[in-house]
Amino acid sequence: MKQDRNRLYEGMYILNANLSEDARKKALQKILDGIETRKGEVVKIHEMGRRRLAYTIDKKKEGFYFVVYFNASPEVIQELWEEYQLNEDLVRFITLQADKVLESLEFKPLNAGA
Amino acid sequence: MSKESALGFIKKRKNCPFTAAGIKKIDYKDYDNLRMFITERGKLLPRRITGVSYYHQRQLKQAIKRARHMALLPFVGED
Repeated sequence: MKQDRNRLYEGMYILNANLSEDARKKALQKILDGIETRKGEVVKIHEMGRRRLAYTIDKKKEGFYFVVYFNASPEVIQELWEEYQLNEDLVRFITLQADKVLESLEFKPLNAGA
Repeated sequence: MSKESALGFIKKRKNCPFTAAGIKKIDYKDYDNLRMFITERGKLLPRRITGVSYYHQRQLKQAIKRARHMALLPFVGED
């Protein structure tokens, strides 16, 4: 019944924008490997690209955004969290439980005041 | 929908934009839309101004806080 304990999670990661293309790919691979070595399964990766941060984090003004959907068991999340804290290429991260995998990150504009 | 109150002025009822759009879960990644619910200073706007339903306001609050953590929205100021 261990399989049933797997849940869908989404992680958003901000990687250092100063990294070269290769280094960035390696950093992303490191994150994905971290999930997969703990018997997680990566479902989907969205690349949001280079974005200006709303405020400076550790003197950085830009970041490279990724959203990763993955299946993993709940115990894994704590371990990942500890690993991410030590990852120096990672500026910020968030891991949340997700209900479904979004195929695209485009959102329809709301008409407020209507 | 408007209603004449006892005091004589007309109360306009605002409709919740999330209910109107049929959104059940508010996503923190939807930062462009979330921007409409914060002030220029980056503070959360009260429900009485935006007309968001209580159900959605609770989610909105959470979504904006998450978006701030991920530097998608500012904590303070935007000039």
